[in-house]
Amino acid sequence: MPELVLSHVTRRFSGHTAVDDLSLTVRDGEFVCLLGPSGCGKTTTLRIIAGFERADAGSLTLDGADITALPPEKREIGVVFQSYALFPHKTVAENIGFGLKMRGRSRAEIATAVEQALALVRLDGLGGRYPRALSGGQQQRVALARALAIRPRLLLMDEPLSNLDAQLREEMRVEIRRIQHSLGITAVLVTHDQGEALAMADRVAVMSQGRLQQMAAPAEIYEAPATAFVGHFIGQVNVLEGRLEQVDGRTGLLALPGGLKLAGAGQGLAAGQAARAMVKQERIALTRAEPTGLPNRFPCRVVERTYLGGGIAYRCAAAGASLTALLPNHPLFERFAPGDAAWLGWTAADCTIFPG
Amino acid sequence: MRGSIRALGRLAGGLYLLLLYLFVMGPLLFVIATSFNPATSFPSRFEGFTLSWYAAILERPEFLAATGTSALVAALAAALAVLVAFLAAYALSRQGGAGGRGAMATLLASPLLVPQVVVSLAILQLASSFGIGTGFWGLVAAHAVYVMPFALRLILTGFARFDFAVEEASRSLGGGPLATWREVTLPLLRPSLVAGFTFCFILSFVNLPLSLFLTGPETATLPIVMFAYIESRIDPMIAAVASLIVLAAATATLLLDRFLRVRLVD
Ligand SMILES: Nc1ncnc2c1ncn2[C@@H]1O[C@H](COP(=O)(O)OP(=O)(O)OP(=O)(O)O)[C@@H](O)[C@H]1O
Ligand SMILES: [Mg+2]
Repeated sequence: MPELVLSHVTRRFSGHTAVDDLSLTVRDGEFVCLLGPSGCGKTTTLRIIAGFERADAGSLTLDGADITALPPEKREIGVVFQSYALFPHKTVAENIGFGLKMRGRSRAEIATAVEQALALVRLDGLGGRYPRALSGGQQQRVALARALAIRPRLLLMDEPLSNLDAQLREEMRVEIRRIQHSLGITAVLVTHDQGEALAMADRVAVMSQGRLQQMAAPAEIYEAPATAFVGHFIGQVNVLEGRLEQVDGRTGLLALPGGLKLAGAGQGLAAGQAARAMVKQERIALTRAEPTGLPNRFPCRVVERTYLGGGIAYRCAAAGASLTALLPNHPLFERFAPGDAAWLGWTAADCTIFPG
Repeated sequence: MRGSIRALGRLAGGLYLLLLYLFVMGPLLFVIATSFNPATSFPSRFEGFTLSWYAAILERPEFLAATGTSALVAALAAALAVLVAFLAAYALSRQGGAGGRGAMATLLASPLLVPQVVVSLAILQLASSFGIGTGFWGLVAAHAVYVMPFALRLILTGFARFDFAVEEASRSLGGGPLATWREVTLPLLRPSLVAGFTFCFILSFVNLPLSLFLTGPETATLPIVMFAYIESRIDPMIAAVASLIVLAAATATLLLDRFLRVRLVD
């Protein structure tokens, strides 16, 4: 069972803690995305798993065996680098066959495995080329094939799609998932692109400042953020600061300085406490008529309109608060212009309140 | 009008380059021409064409022996310098090295700033203070110390184009540290290693001051023998020797440029 377990992994660089007491489990056959802003320690975590970087504290097990002190060449972990790190002096076939050559396999065996790997990433016939004679997308596939050719127990990828253009990136998302699924391999992908993480992962691990914030399925990360950081970081979010006026179990009423009172839900709430409400832009309705069915509804004035193609974002002012509503670009939805009077509305469930 | 000004500018530029080349190469051309001049004194008017000075070299066994010594010293010094420079450049180029990298590189280049005669004298003093002769290895050491910074420059340039991630890729694919150097690091740096070796070899081969205090009758290098020869008399044979050295050095440099695309100056 290739299951990866990190327990209390910590890595410091001259006083700065890049990875801070990180514990997480990647299950057998699972595809996990490590997501977080730049500098939060994703790459460092991946490098610790690969064995390129040591952990100052904590331990790692793979398949139940402790790998904390194992050098990278003994870990049987395939790595796809952000720069691809293909060997420029070797052909595509030699690149892909390198791992098997290091394992002392016979020439015939290596040739067969290389053919298979090339077919897997749909690069049949390109084995004789040198990496510099390939496009970025093809180099990426070679890097993937090379990592997979050793039949690794675990596949690690550091921002593998960040050097590709937008369209190719979408294609490769699907492609990488197809390959991962067909091989049933356990995989960890690092990205700072939340769209990529939500689209690809079985579970997303959100990191901030070296710490794990939440690890859950994409929908749960999006709909039920566990921390204020996740709530703020994932999606296009309105953040409103105020003071809790009333608390009833998991629901509360947040009073904003301008006078608005928001009904929302959260954990560990106490009356009198300073708190923040977070509402995703697309969960806010913007209408001319008062949305009487919604507990949170406020008259507003449209301040700014941004055309986004698939949607239209309206920035609105309501009693000193500024909120952005994102409406689908669809004839069924009303259109507004700056200066228009309108109503904003959303449910209590779409209004997550975090203390602090 | 504008076209003719541009043409004039190009002409002036061409003329300038020609003068520059002449200034650099002129003395060399003069020496090469002299080596074919039958006149027995040096310098003198050109009186014809002869290869007899080249034949004369063969009759001076000390020149042949010194060529062998110089080649051996140069090969050993260059090999030593490239080895040391490679390890230093590797350490200096790897990520994670804290500050002081620039200071380290400068320190390693510092032998360039010391007069070579002083290096030679210093090694002589050091050896005699330990009561040992300098001998052949003292000579090799002096040359290695002097040429190492040149190798370091070239190899650092090679490392600037080297992505250390390929070493990690090799490790993750099952290559141990040694296999990784053999399969990935060294092949990728081969051009700058070969270039470093060649330039160090040439620099050592033609160097006189380093050897001044360190050679004995058994270990006389070619420049020392030439120096001794022109102290007693000057004839075009010495020009023939010099021409052969220039020919060899130029050939090596051209081969490097052609096959490895490495230049001493970029
Ligand atoms: N070798 C190192 N020496 C010193 N500090 C380092 C080193 N490697 C990483 N760091 C620091 O550790 C922190 C985490 O770095 P890391 O590369 O893991 O971030 P990341 O999440 O991958 O960011 P990005 O999205 O920009 O790639 C950063 O503050 C970085 O500056
Ligand atoms: Mg990174």
